[in-house]
Amino acid sequence: MPKRFNWQIGRDQFYKYEGKPPKRQIAYVFDTNKCIACQTCTVACKTTWTSGKGEEYMFWNNVETKPYGFYPTGWDVNTLEKTGPGAWKNGVYLGKTVFESTPEGKTVNGYLPTEEDWSHPNLGEDEVAHKIEEKATYELPHKSWMFYLARICNHCNNPACLAACPRQAIYKRPEDGIVLIDQERCRGYQECVAACPYKKPMFNAHTGKSEKCIACYPLIEKGIAPRCVQTCIGKIRMTGFIHPPEKADADNPMDYLVHVAKVALPLYAQFGTGPNVYYIPPIHVDPAYLKQIFGPNVEKAIALYKAQDPKLVGLLSLFGSTDHWVDSFKVQNGNATGYQDGKELVTVPVKEPVVFRALRDKELNVLRKSVT
Amino acid sequence: MDLFEKKVTRRELFKQAGVGAFALMAADPLFALLKPVAGVDNPLDFYPDRNWEKLYRDMAATDEWFTFLCAPNDTHNCLLKAYMKNGVVVYLGPSYGYGKAEDIYGTKASHRWDPRCCQKGLALIRRIYGPRRVKYPAVRQGFKAWVDAGYPRGADGKVDSKYLQRGKEPFVRVSWDEAFKIVARSLDNIARAYNGDDGAKKLLEQGYDPAMVEAMHGAGVQALKHRGGMPLLGATRIFGMNRFTNSLALLDAKIRGVGPEDALGGRVWDSYSWHTDLPPGHTMTCGHQTMEFDLANAENANMVICWGMNWISTKMPDAHWLTEARLKGTKVVTVACEYQSTSNKADKVIVVRPGSDPALALGIANVLMSEKLYDDEFVKGHTDLPLLVRLDTLKLLKPEDVIPGYKNKILEKTRVLKAGEKAGLPITQEKQIITEALREEWGDYTVWNQATGRVQALSRDEAAQAGNWALEGTFKIKTVGGEEITVRPVFDLLKQHASHFTPEVVSDLCHVDKDAVLWLAREMAKNKMKTLVAVGMGPNHFYNNDLKDRLTFLVCALTKNIGFPGGNIGSYAGNYRGAYFNGLPTYLLEDPFHPELDPAKTPKTRYYSKYESAHYFNYGDRPLRVGNKMFTGKSHMPTPTKSMWFSNGNSILGNLKWHHDVVVNTLPKIEMIVATDWWWTASCEYSDVAFGVDSWGEFKYPDMTAAVTNPFFQIFPKTPLKRLHDTRGDIEVLAGVSKALAEVTGDRRFIDYWKFVHEDRVEVYLQRIIDNSSALKGYKIDQVHANAKKGIPALLMTRTYPKYMGHEQSVDKEAHYTKSGRLEFYRDEDEFLEYGENIPVHREPVDGTPYEPNVIVCGAKDLIRPKQLRDYGFKKDDLGTETRQVRNVILAPADVIKTAHPLRKDGFSHIYITPKFRHGVHTMPVDLDIIAVWFGPFGDIHRRDKRMPWVGEGYVDLNPDDARALGLEDGDYVHVDGDPSDRPFRGWQKKPEDYKVHRSLMRIRYYQGIPRGIARSWFHMYVATYGSVEGQAKNADGLARNPRTGYQAMFRTGSHQSATRAWLKPTLQTESLARKDMFGQTIGKGFAADIHCTTGAPKESFVKITKAEPGGVDHALWRPARLGYRPGYESDAMKTYLKGGFNA
Repeated sequence: MPKRFNWQIGRDQFYKYEGKPPKRQIAYVFDTNKCIACQTCTVACKTTWTSGKGEEYMFWNNVETKPYGFYPTGWDVNTLEKTGPGAWKNGVYLGKTVFESTPEGKTVNGYLPTEEDWSHPNLGEDEVAHKIEEKATYELPHKSWMFYLARICNHCNNPACLAACPRQAIYKRPEDGIVLIDQERCRGYQECVAACPYKKPMFNAHTGKSEKCIACYPLIEKGIAPRCVQTCIGKIRMTGFIHPPEKADADNPMDYLVHVAKVALPLYAQFGTGPNVYYIPPIHVDPAYLKQIFGPNVEKAIALYKAQDPKLVGLLSLFGSTDHWVDSFKVQNGNATGYQDGKELVTVPVKEPVVFRALRDKELNVLRKSVT
Repeated sequence: MDLFEKKVTRRELFKQAGVGAFALMAADPLFALLKPVAGVDNPLDFYPDRNWEKLYRDMAATDEWFTFLCAPNDTHNCLLKAYMKNGVVVYLGPSYGYGKAEDIYGTKASHRWDPRCCQKGLALIRRIYGPRRVKYPAVRQGFKAWVDAGYPRGADGKVDSKYLQRGKEPFVRVSWDEAFKIVARSLDNIARAYNGDDGAKKLLEQGYDPAMVEAMHGAGVQALKHRGGMPLLGATRIFGMNRFTNSLALLDAKIRGVGPEDALGGRVWDSYSWHTDLPPGHTMTCGHQTMEFDLANAENANMVICWGMNWISTKMPDAHWLTEARLKGTKVVTVACEYQSTSNKADKVIVVRPGSDPALALGIANVLMSEKLYDDEFVKGHTDLPLLVRLDTLKLLKPEDVIPGYKNKILEKTRVLKAGEKAGLPITQEKQIITEALREEWGDYTVWNQATGRVQALSRDEAAQAGNWALEGTFKIKTVGGEEITVRPVFDLLKQHASHFTPEVVSDLCHVDKDAVLWLAREMAKNKMKTLVAVGMGPNHFYNNDLKDRLTFLVCALTKNIGFPGGNIGSYAGNYRGAYFNGLPTYLLEDPFHPELDPAKTPKTRYYSKYESAHYFNYGDRPLRVGNKMFTGKSHMPTPTKSMWFSNGNSILGNLKWHHDVVVNTLPKIEMIVATDWWWTASCEYSDVAFGVDSWGEFKYPDMTAAVTNPFFQIFPKTPLKRLHDTRGDIEVLAGVSKALAEVTGDRRFIDYWKFVHEDRVEVYLQRIIDNSSALKGYKIDQVHANAKKGIPALLMTRTYPKYMGHEQSVDKEAHYTKSGRLEFYRDEDEFLEYGENIPVHREPVDGTPYEPNVIVCGAKDLIRPKQLRDYGFKKDDLGTETRQVRNVILAPADVIKTAHPLRKDGFSHIYITPKFRHGVHTMPVDLDIIAVWFGPFGDIHRRDKRMPWVGEGYVDLNPDDARALGLEDGDYVHVDGDPSDRPFRGWQKKPEDYKVHRSLMRIRYYQGIPRGIARSWFHMYVATYGSVEGQAKNADGLARNPRTGYQAMFRTGSHQSATRAWLKPTLQTESLARKDMFGQTIGKGFAADIHCTTGAPKESFVKITKAEPGGVDHALWRPARLGYRPGYESDAMKTYLKGGFNA
């Protein structure tokens, strides 16, 4: 089995196929501190792509409350149990990835959710980790807590689904790294459904094929951000393209947040698939839980986030202000600007100015009062 | 033919397999695709055939788009893009046009406002095209029979119950003309039946309170009620209900044979106060409906306190302002009865007992006053705290009491109207306006001048001026009559009163951390002009809401947090402020006897309709008469409800508090119920006539709205989407019924009144409103309409962008809209003195408390002198639900926790609250499948547990320790029962069949985020109806769906409203409170709908929770609990996971 270097776990690991990395790799950053679990992303995706027969239970995008929320039920508890506990040391994951703990005959150590596991998509909504006491007062970090985890397909560098498919019907687009299940060649073995540790491929019993988030590639190809990103009213998301750490460009928002400011972290990097959705961790949550989900750098990321660096604050205030993907940005003079292919998309003030109108408009003979 | 266009079944495949395969391959297009598979060795290296990707490109491709405005009562009003393919909308999205909004002066909004939409808006595609649209005008079978039979009545006027079987019959489709005729003729018949002395006699025989009958003044049209739901949401089509009601003066003229001078219009129900969105203490403190600030102001503050206001779940498109402010250093605090959604965005989370907010505010005030942390100058200038109170009468000391020959000052900053003088249109009004009579009645005020050591007179013209006046002290002075009296400043009284609310006492009373009380006070004082306090409907939906307002206002005023971009108070609920369009009177009150047919001219206005609160209808169609006293002031007095017509609001019937009582006990007294809606709600279930109207995506007439939480002025654009059903526009329905009334009465002015609807030129009405509105004048409707079609809104032109209230007072030093011109914390009106609320006391909730309900909590017993039950004719104490509304027993703050709610001895254990959440705006669009399945943990699109009423269902949240103590498992079905004396409806003991329909049955969820003693169900879900309960029994699939109407319930029986009821508070029904009128600068007194008006207490209940059925079907537990994923049921793996134990 070939090996490849996975910078997210600081070491080489097994992966079924050799391959050159794509020309560009799509990536997303989600700021969990802004997510409001409104499920606008969920409904945007649902109404665009999965309104057909066999897709009734499917939500390619979902937002689950951690720690008691899951879609499908218990997905990460199950995957963590399968791969077993593991430790980090100096940025290197010493435990086993899903490719390194595989049972006999399987390429990936996964499990197939039952049909009922897909019920109750909002199990655990808003539920906190511990019973709150009477007269409770919390400061950071909260003694009892919950946070929202918005999830889509991670369009991984080492996709477990791709490795598991017996027909090689899953591939990664060379132009942008988007991972797709070929709807023509898929025969519905559901090996991808079992393999993906994030449980993002979903089986359609009516067509007999598995399907999953496609990163809205028809929109990406037109310069437009995916539906879940452009409809996010929490303004928590940005889409762009990420470089590997050694090629990081500080004016590229993905590179900046992940490699330079280091506030955005991969989800369950220890699974070893190299996910490309990066999360700014919730600053109020128990660090022990956070390390399990976002890795050992989580406390550092929180401290850096809280430091309110002007470039970071400017970029995060830019999120959501354009419905295009952004490959470059600038923060200067109290404004943040997003660009695509060198063209300005939008400029916003980091702080919206307060404007006082003149009370009396003599020409129109009207008074612009506050209380009318 | 592409493989994807033809679904290949296995049967087809095998059918072909028998024939020579190669021959077929050549001939049949299907087999042409079965090329030998190109082997894919390494999909990471090379993928041979990507043509299939066309599939998703085709799905995403659209031909065109248009915009429409999504505007339920969430206050946001989002322009949505509807993407179309072949004339069918395929999906919806945000317009991204908010960053292009501009006013006529070049003020621009930035793209930080974008995107604006939400999950409910995007799900509308399933509502616009959904199966439960009201597809045509429909009349209930029994009602039609009554109409066709010629409106037979008994001698007392009553209609035979066989015609009143609402909710139990099919609906008959009629033509539009027929529907209009039926409603017009019925309005006429009902008005005539109850007109004059004969009508009054019938009403008295039917048992209506004589005061209500008297309030009709003999005009039968006064028994006709109308409501456009949150009318700001449609200046012409929803507010049009008010206009229609005004025109009923033409009907009255016909019936009574009177002229325009004596005619009366119909009755209009309130909106803001109906929802209990009005914070009634705001009116008492600042003189107008509400002070608030656009939520975008969050980043101007150092600290934002979300006080019972679940910002990120109820103001979702503006949540980012809060989180971005926090990102930049603003401290976010939640004060709530649980760890709520917004708490996960908070730097400080403070948990407090629901309904105890007035006491918490007193605790904070105590710290501010005793530690001298208040802003001396602000308090002396902008509040009534330096004004003197005489201790003998507890009335404010008047200058004429002590200054011989004192004459009231001539007011220069206030315009005083002589008798008969008119104020003019609101847009012309510059100064605040008071009639001479009121000016003389209210007089002037006094303070203690510390320099001279004497009483000094102050008028409202001296508002915002601070002088060297005492805040503390007791002064002995002589009246002009020679009597020696003691006077003290209001501040001194409040300081004494607040001193009983020490941090320790407040901690025990409010179940709050005592250090949090100290912290809040000191942090607010440290952040003067930089603390925004957003108070929500958590505290406002309790009976003590006016006290909560007066006291939260006090805390903000003491710390100079009123009227600044980063320092202010706000109350957040629905979208009410019709006053932004203060040109509306030209439309609402256009004189129906002389309609203005020239589009260029401004109409004459004449006020014919009367307003009243719908809470009286809710209460059983009666006023608050308890013992020997009528507590409902004359100006508030409702009339009997013999007909009700409402549009755009399920909240007036389908989801009103005490819904189940209204259905059983009040609806039978009403002769016609007309619902205008585009979706079949429980209001439609119980109606007689349902007018099916255009969905927001199908508007053929433009309309306009604005918002209380954002600065945009918005148009509802006309859309190109062809109507899907036989629907009309809301305003067409008004015009249609009016046209039918023209036929009934012979008065063609009923047609003229809606001339511009008939000519498809409603822009005339819109432009008239714009030209006469202070915040709109300068805009042209055609231009703003054209921009809206591109997804771009305009900006409301008030004093500031973003908007906020109080700038003119705190900075420009103008007066508040109160008698004294200052923020008022002391109320010396007779009613307040009688009810013991001259100082802002705390009252325990009227039902939702484990302690003695509605007791006055006050340690300064010498400062209040309330009447007691014996003064109202009661021989014994009575804690019954109706009597306790007027019960004024006083307890010291430390003694409250020694008492008990009377139902505790019967096993009732929990405060039950029903707040708002993210998945619904009221009930919109909660019953859509893709919304219902996300609403809480029990959603299941495949409904594997066939007991579920729908793919999602109502539930109650309980602390796991409480649940276990009650023998309940996570997922069980339970009954949540309120006070059996009147819930779920009065007389349930004698009506077992109805009881089965109306008693609540719902699941319980183990919820660790709520303290013990509190149970919570969300407010939004579709209630069970007779039809839905019948459906669950009869339908093969077991869905709780009415087999006749298709109504889809989300409860098996009952609802969250099974435990709620109507409540009426005396202090909200006075004749003497000063308040600004709805439109313009005039200050009047007494009743004003949505301003000074009773509000109810929707959150209040004290309940018993008992097990009905186990959570699982084949097992006792529902599946997630059985598998070990639920709190209290965690498997070992789950326990490890919770601790982060997989990170070794």
